[in-house]
Amino acid sequence: MSPPLLEIRDLHVWFDLPHHRELHAVQGLSLELEAGERMGLVGESGCGKTTAILAVMGLLPPTASVAGSVMLNGDDMLAGGEDSIRPHRWVDIAMVFQGAMNALNPVRTVASQIVEPMELHGIASGAAADRRAGELLELVGIGSEAGGRFPHEFSGGMRQRAAIAMALACGPKILLADEPTTALDVMIQAQILDLLVALTKDLGLTLVLVTHDLPVVAQVCDRAAVMYAGEIVESGPMDTLFHGPRHPYTRMLFAATPDLYGDEEVLSIPGSPPRLDESIQGCPFQPRCDRAFDRCETERPRLAAIDRGHRAACHLNDVAAVPK
Amino acid sequence: MSRILIDPGMVDAPPKRTRGSWIRDVLRERPSAAVGAALLGVFVLIAIFAPLLEPYGIHEQVGPVFGPPSSRHWLGMDDGGIDMVSLLIEGTRISLTVGFAAALVATFIGGGVGIVAGYFGGWTDTILMRITDYFLVVPDVPLMIVVAAIWGPSLFHIIVVIGILLWTTTARIIRAQVKSVRERVYVKRARSLGAGNVRIIFRHVLPQVAPLMIANVVLAIAVAIFDETALAFLGLGDPTSTSWGTIIEHAFLRTAMSRGAWWAIVPPGICVALVVMGCYLLGQAIEDALNPRLRVAHLSVKTFRLRTLAGRGEEAV
Amino acid sequence: MRGIDYVVKRTAFALITIFVAITLNFVLFRALPGDAVSDLARVPRATPELKAALTKEFGLDKPMAEQYVLYLQQLAHFNLGVSYVNQQPVWNNLRTALGNTIPMVLLGTIFAMVLGILTGVVSAWRRGTALDHISTNLAIAFYAVPTQWLGLVLIIVFAKYLPTYGRTSISFGSLSTLAHIKDVLVHMLMPSTTLALTLYGEYTLIVRSAMLETLGEDYVLTARAKGLSGWAVVRQHAFRNAMLPTVTLMALSLGYIVAGAILVEAVFSWPGIGRAVYESVFNNDYPMLQGAFLILTLSVVLFNFVADLLYFRLDPRITV
Repeated sequence: MSPPLLEIRDLHVWFDLPHHRELHAVQGLSLELEAGERMGLVGESGCGKTTAILAVMGLLPPTASVAGSVMLNGDDMLAGGEDSIRPHRWVDIAMVFQGAMNALNPVRTVASQIVEPMELHGIASGAAADRRAGELLELVGIGSEAGGRFPHEFSGGMRQRAAIAMALACGPKILLADEPTTALDVMIQAQILDLLVALTKDLGLTLVLVTHDLPVVAQVCDRAAVMYAGEIVESGPMDTLFHGPRHPYTRMLFAATPDLYGDEEVLSIPGSPPRLDESIQGCPFQPRCDRAFDRCETERPRLAAIDRGHRAACHLNDVAAVPK
Repeated sequence: MSRILIDPGMVDAPPKRTRGSWIRDVLRERPSAAVGAALLGVFVLIAIFAPLLEPYGIHEQVGPVFGPPSSRHWLGMDDGGIDMVSLLIEGTRISLTVGFAAALVATFIGGGVGIVAGYFGGWTDTILMRITDYFLVVPDVPLMIVVAAIWGPSLFHIIVVIGILLWTTTARIIRAQVKSVRERVYVKRARSLGAGNVRIIFRHVLPQVAPLMIANVVLAIAVAIFDETALAFLGLGDPTSTSWGTIIEHAFLRTAMSRGAWWAIVPPGICVALVVMGCYLLGQAIEDALNPRLRVAHLSVKTFRLRTLAGRGEEAV
Repeated sequence: MRGIDYVVKRTAFALITIFVAITLNFVLFRALPGDAVSDLARVPRATPELKAALTKEFGLDKPMAEQYVLYLQQLAHFNLGVSYVNQQPVWNNLRTALGNTIPMVLLGTIFAMVLGILTGVVSAWRRGTALDHISTNLAIAFYAVPTQWLGLVLIIVFAKYLPTYGRTSISFGSLSTLAHIKDVLVHMLMPSTTLALTLYGEYTLIVRSAMLETLGEDYVLTARAKGLSGWAVVRQHAFRNAMLPTVTLMALSLGYIVAGAILVEAVFSWPGIGRAVYESVFNNDYPMLQGAFLILTLSVVLFNFVADLLYFRLDPRITV
């Protein structure tokens, strides 16, 4: 078994709040990414998924403090803070942001923004870089001549494609996509997702897809990690999560998704996620859980292996502890 | 599509902001606002208690023309032998009064125009904005000069003219804010419930726009005082009143410069500068507090910090 | 051509504004009660012949509408009347004055803009540091001081080293052209510097604010994600974008430049259009005042128009 391409170990992120308080946005997140796989990072809005992937790229504001390690091929990128992460940006890990509408600079041509990281990291320059930019634009389904246009001349879907082309500029191993299809209409959404799948297969990319939208994950990813209150509560193959979830949140999450063809009842999860600026006692999901018992109130569950490649953080999986 | 599992009550509730507490928050969080407010406050107090604070009469000659500073007269005397400190204190009254009054006029008109244009939109908006655009182009000080020259210098004229020219920027800013407030859910809800326009404007729009108007009044005071000083210097101030501007003008005309009587010139200018600075700091701090975009910065000199965790438990296997 | 309608719209707006300004000028000086020009009692030392001549020339005995038409016609021929003080055509006086004002103001404004942009950009980039606080507060301080006062303070400090009065010290005839130019430049230093110091503060604050807003945009985060260093992000992404609102705001501050020019010329007796305004108020020289006011208003319209075009060049999003 080869070592994972990216390994996040016990990642914590705190944000300073006024009056000496803190928001504990990521609470001990651990995740492993194998080369070539498509992993979904799923959770409600505000559960910390975007913060987590920003932390991986070191793009947090000065009000943030970080602990833990992010190992890329065995090197801890976080160890030296901003300085140790910067060399890896775009070259090893690239990102497609939420709402690419604003992620592209409106006063510069699309092609120049694709060429920019190439020249910065010494991948290509001048005419060669322009050509490569054109190729990338073709690859994502926009013609290469579109490169000379400005972002506002593109539709939302095209802008997202351009953002993907830009992300691929330096040939990264890992692509982080943060809600890449939110705010796009359904047809375009499907196209973008197909594009992402095709790219991972053709280019050997590893993809992390962050989203709150479960059908999207189902369509694109082989594996998924479910995030709640700043930590991973379950991770494993899509199939397993769907048919054999071992965390109540995962089960409820998948059950809450309306099925277009089925006539199962749509369930919603009552209550709301815990506040992250206060310390959490016991299991963070316990107040909303339908199978909580006394241990859940006092002890926070740890992410434990259920099976090969399947982990969950729930006391229910500890057979000895569950009351009959 | 799966549901977005957030509390629907969180979306678009009218922001709970009581006037008093919000201002206290701005003052506490931003030291510049507190400094500005303090500066303004000091001068306002001086203006209010002026007659009690003046050590000597402002028409009382206590020494020679342009007498130098001494232990009894810290800032010397002006061209009439009158104590400068007393003159400065008296000047606070006039300068601040003109400033406040003109700023209020400007904000009233500007706010009114902005609210009407922003709320009703359409033709009203277009026409009002065109008028505003034309007003914006007229350079203020020359117009003030012309008005004062034609109709004679008086405090009233000055206040009216400054007010008439300042309202344009206020109108634009308020209009933009009103347009965004208008689109908010709770305003739409109120309208669908049948609330009349006037009621909506006063109960929903005005409270949202009020902080911005306050910031504008404060900044307008700064401009008004600055303008009054300019007019006074050009001989168009009210000759019967003592403002900081007229003090500088008198000194200049009566050759304080060639006599080296810097004490007749420097202090009034410093007073103007301090009040204008105070207004600017306070007004800008309020405006910044209202503009959420300025809080986000994707680039800064400092970076995120690293922490070590002691004894955080075993890895998941 | 991209955005041709935008250019057309702005040109139309400029032309209409010019027309409004011209009309405003007429209304102020002729039509309103207390009218300065038509009230011949105000003309100093007016002989009956002079009054008759003025009445005839400006049609002061005709109805307002006719006067207006006459006024427009005369404007088209650059006939702005005759100065009460030196009996020269107002237009000639103003032309000379403008020729003196423009270099002085240009020098001061360019210096202020360059300094303002530099300090504004650095302050925004180094937001929150001591450098930012110092430069911002310094900018506020210079923005807050009255222009004429600053000029007077500079005179107090530098009177021994630099000329502070007028445009030349020695009459033209006795100097070579080069020496004359040098003389003028030396005299220009103080007024231009005063103007520059008053203006730069506002520009710093404008630029800093625009940069701060730009630095909160998503594409700045993208640029950082690509691995660009701080300065590269500022230079290649933030700066150009921040210049858009800056250009607009600088154009809006033109009125401030005009005011500053008037005050500076009054303090240093620089024989420009600002001093023309000052002196014509002193001397009740209403035709001069009217002419000067018109010129000043028109120049603001012109510069606003230029700023609009500049914005159009800078922002590729403008198509309407």
